[in-house]
Amino acid sequence: MANIFRMLHWACRVILAGIFLYSGYVKLQSPLQFAAAITGYKLVPDSLVFPLATYLPWLEIALGVLLLSGWKVRYVALGASALLLGFIAILTTTYLRGIDADCGCFGFGDKISPKTIARDMLILLPAIYLAVEFRLRKPATNPPE
Amino acid sequence: MLVALDLMLLGFPLLIPAPVAAQSCEQCLGGWLDAPVKIEVFSDFECPACRVFFLDTVKYVLVDYANIDKVCVIYREFPLAIHKYSHDAARYSLAAQKLGRQQWLSVVESMYTNQEVWAKDGSVQAFVARALSPEDFQRVLKLKDDPSIEQTIARDIALGQKREVQSTPTFFITYLNKEQKVVGGLPYPVLRQFFDKIVK
Repeated sequence: MANIFRMLHWACRVILAGIFLYSGYVKLQSPLQFAAAITGYKLVPDSLVFPLATYLPWLEIALGVLLLSGWKVRYVALGASALLLGFIAILTTTYLRGIDADCGCFGFGDKISPKTIARDMLILLPAIYLAVEFRLRKPATNPPE
Repeated sequence: MLVALDLMLLGFPLLIPAPVAAQSCEQCLGGWLDAPVKIEVFSDFECPACRVFFLDTVKYVLVDYANIDKVCVIYREFPLAIHKYSHDAARYSLAAQKLGRQQWLSVVESMYTNQEVWAKDGSVQAFVARALSPEDFQRVLKLKDDPSIEQTIARDIALGQKREVQSTPTFFITYLNKEQKVVGGLPYPVLRQFFDKIVK
């Protein structure tokens, strides 16, 4: 049982870290394209678009690196969950407002749809698991943090 | 290299050399080719997003950055097949370009401002006439039928296809030997923040 938990723990960390690293890297490749995607959401004032497009990818990369490093996994996973919940809320409200915007999640050309929202919800699962796994496991099997 | 670029945007020095992007032999419609930033726009005169991008963004870039040679602006004609009159508009634009930057600007501004009207009835010529003096208008009428205009349009379309332009507006920004492709427009305040990071 402990092995299953351990494998699940590592799988969640590696998958989540990979997603954040890839997502951050893609956005860093073209901050202006990401800025165009943020503009499409019609949620933030123009003055905040470029700073957001510049710094958000670094936050994603930082989360990816921290998840891989294993440092304070529970708290990093909480941060990742909060960020993903924020993304899901923004995607959902934009979709419900009927705005035909590009997701900007993993590059250009991915329109916001129920599929993109469901995908983010799926990504949220490992983040939530890592944040709450300590409650599911016996203290002796907890991974070092 | 991409990470280096973004470190630069964050205020860190550029550490890793980047490959030199393809240089254009085109004349800038604002600024000079050796400007620190080059913006190359693939545009269609009948496309509403191109209209917004020109009137709300590019026009201000020309005034605030191109006029002081911080940014070189190049416009490429990319008339889409779904638009009935955009090819004709592109010919007027290129003909006006041959007269000078000011004439080009007047014609393009007039065509974009009145896009909704001529896109319905094809009356592009009326709005070109409105933007120019009678002498310049007569010159444009002659120039627009010059075979070199058609060749330029064909070359711009081929260039766009080669660079995988699939919709308009699509623009390429070249700076610090790096190139970024952006599909869709960007509001001027966003682009201004980016330019200010690069050209201070």
